[in-house]
Amino acid sequence: MSKIMEWVDARLPVTELLKSQATEYPTPKNLNYWWNFGSLALFVLIIMIASGLFLAMHYKADANQSFDVVEHIMRDVNFGWLLRYMHANGASFFFMVVYIHILRGMYYGSYRKPREILWWFGIILFFMMMATAFMGYVLPWGQMSYWGAAVITNLMSAIPVVGEDLVVWIWGGFSVGDPTLNRFFALHFLLPLVIFGVVILHLWALHAVHSNNPVGIDLHDEKDSIPFHPYYTIKDLYGMGVFLIIFCAFVFYAPNFFLEPDNYIPANPMQTPPHIVPEWYFLPFYAILRSIDFLGSFSKLAGVIAMGGAIAILFILPFLDRSPVRSFRYRPLSKQLFWMFVADCFVLGWVGYNPADAAIFEGALPLIVIGRTCTALYFSYFFLLWVITAFDIEKHTPVPKSI
Amino acid sequence: MNYQQVVQLHRFTKQASLRSATVLFFAAMLLVVVLPRGAVASGGVALPKQNWSFAGMFGQFDNAALKRGAQVAIQACMTCHSLKYIKFDQLRQFGYTEIEVKALAESQGRTKKDALLSGMDANAAKDAFGVVPPDLSLITKARKGYEDYTFAILTGYASANDLALATRVMADDKISDEEAKEVASALGLDMHHLDKMAEVLKRMAAGENFNRYFPGHFFAMPQPLSDGAVAYTDGTENSKIQLARDVVTFLAWAGEPTMMERKSLGVKVLLYLFVLTIMMYAVKRRIWARVH
Repeated sequence: MSKIMEWVDARLPVTELLKSQATEYPTPKNLNYWWNFGSLALFVLIIMIASGLFLAMHYKADANQSFDVVEHIMRDVNFGWLLRYMHANGASFFFMVVYIHILRGMYYGSYRKPREILWWFGIILFFMMMATAFMGYVLPWGQMSYWGAAVITNLMSAIPVVGEDLVVWIWGGFSVGDPTLNRFFALHFLLPLVIFGVVILHLWALHAVHSNNPVGIDLHDEKDSIPFHPYYTIKDLYGMGVFLIIFCAFVFYAPNFFLEPDNYIPANPMQTPPHIVPEWYFLPFYAILRSIDFLGSFSKLAGVIAMGGAIAILFILPFLDRSPVRSFRYRPLSKQLFWMFVADCFVLGWVGYNPADAAIFEGALPLIVIGRTCTALYFSYFFLLWVITAFDIEKHTPVPKSI
Repeated sequence: MNYQQVVQLHRFTKQASLRSATVLFFAAMLLVVVLPRGAVASGGVALPKQNWSFAGMFGQFDNAALKRGAQVAIQACMTCHSLKYIKFDQLRQFGYTEIEVKALAESQGRTKKDALLSGMDANAAKDAFGVVPPDLSLITKARKGYEDYTFAILTGYASANDLALATRVMADDKISDEEAKEVASALGLDMHHLDKMAEVLKRMAAGENFNRYFPGHFFAMPQPLSDGAVAYTDGTENSKIQLARDVVTFLAWAGEPTMMERKSLGVKVLLYLFVLTIMMYAVKRRIWARVH
C-alpha cells in the first residue's frame, strides 16, 4: 500500500495535499458550533446533487408530462418518494444552513481583511444557489411552479430598453411554457456542478487565509491551532448527525411542511392562484421587491434593483465595516445592529408571505407600510455599521490578546 | 483587566448573545405563527381538526375504513371525478380480493388494470357544472388544511334546517339582530357584515350550493354525500359523517400510497441516526478532552 502511494506521490503529491489541507491543516482551537455550518452546507450540496441525479434519471421536462412524471416518481419508482422528499426538503435545509453560515460570517467579522475574496465567492455561491432553487421549483410544473416562474421572470421586463425582449428570450416564447421548462431543467442540472466548482474556489480562498474564529483575532501562537483531523472531522460528523436527525424528521414525518399545497395542482396558464407566494427562503427579498411601490412607473425597476441590491450590498460589506475589531463579541453597538438586522429579516419574511394588500390591527396598519419600514431598516444596517465604525462612535470592549 | 476578568467577560457576552438569540428566535416564531392568521382571517372559516388514524409518527391506515372509502369514492365521487393515478388493482393493497377488485372495475365498465377514471365526459361536466371536476388523486395534499379541509367540505353543506332558516330570514328581505345571531351561529357567517350575510342567504334560498368551509361559500359541486348514499356491507353505519370520514381516509391513501412505507422506514432511520449521533458525540468529547 505505501509503495503504491509512494509511486503516486512521486507523480501527484496526494499525500502532501491531504496532509497540508485536510488532516494536519491548522485550525483555530476555539471554533464554536456556528462554524459547523460551512461543512454542513457542503454536505447538503452533496445530498442535493446525489438525490437530484437519481431524480433526473426518471424526470421528463415536458409541459404535458412533468406533473405526472413527478407523481410517477412518488408512486412507482422504488424509493422515488424518498428521493423527491429529500430533494425538496433539502432545498429548504440548504438555505437554512447557508443563512446561518452567512450570519455567522457577519457576526464574527469573517468578511474582514484578509478574507474579502473568500467572502465574495460565498456571495456568488448564494446568488447561484438562489437561481438553482428557483429553477428547480419550476420543474414539478404545479400551479406555484408555473405562476412563480411567471412572476419572477416577468421582473426582467423592468430592465430598460431590452427588458421586454429579454423576457421573451428567457421564456423561449410569449409566455412561460414548454421551452421555459426545458431550459430551466438544463440549467438546473448544470448550475449545481458550477456551484460545486465555486465551492472549491471558496475553500481555496479559505485555506489561503485560514479560518476566522469567534474572538476574531489573528493566531500568533502555535498552541492556538489544532490539526483539522481528528478535532474538526469528529465535530463536523457530530454536527451532521444532529442535522440529519432534524432533516430526516421532516423528510419522513412532515415532508410537505415547506411545500405549498397549490403545487400539487397541475400548472394551469388559464387560472391564476389567489395568492402567489415564493418559497420561504425568498420571502424577505420578495417583500423588499414589493415594498417599492411609490415610484410610479419606476417602481418595478426600483423594486428589482432593491431586491438584487439587498444581496449585492454584501459585496461591499468588508469595506463598510471599519472597526479595528472583527468579532461583534467585543462590539456592543454592532451586536445590537446585527440582532435588529436578523429580526428585520424575519419580519420581512412574514410580510412577503402575506398578500400585498393585507393589513393588521383591523386594517389600521397595512403590511406594505411595515414592508417599506423593514426594507429601510435592512439597508440601514449596512449604513449604520459604516457610520458607527468609520466615525469611531462604537467603543469596543477589551479584546483578548490570544485565544 | 486581568485574564480572569477577560474570561468572565467572555462568558457573559457569550451568554448574553445566546439569550438574545433565543428570545429573538421565539419572538420571530410567534410572529410567523400567530400574526398571519390575523392578517388573512378574512379568507376562510377555521377548519375543525379531525383525528385521523394515519396521522402522526406511528399512524396507520385502517384497512376496513380504506375499503369502505374506496367504495364511496367509486360509487359516489367517481360519478364526476377521476383518480387517474390509482388503478383498480392497487385496491388489493388494503384488503380487497382480486375477485372483488374485478367486480368493482366491471361495475364501472373497466378492467382491473385501468385507472379509476370517471365515466363522465369532461365536456359534458363543463356544460353541467361550468367547470371540469378536478382529479381527486392529490386532493388531500393540494388544499390548505389537507384531510381536514376535504372532510370539512364534504360535511359543510347547508342542512335542510339551514335552508329553511335562510328562506325564513330573507322572507322580509331584512335581517334583525336576533336573526343575524341565529344565522351566524348556524352557518358560521360574520354577523358584522349584514349586507354580505344577506347576499349569502339570498343565494342559498335561490338553490346555490352553500358550503360553510369553502372560501367564498359557493361553488359548483352540489352536496356529494348524504346519509345512506352508499350501502356498506360490513355493518358500519352509513351516515354522511361516516361516509366522509371513510372516503377522506381513502383519498389520503390515494394521495400518497407510499405513506406507510415512508413512516415505517423513518422510525428505523431516526433510531439509527440517534444512536450514531450519540456515539459521535461521545467520541467528540473524548477527542476534545485533549484540547480543553
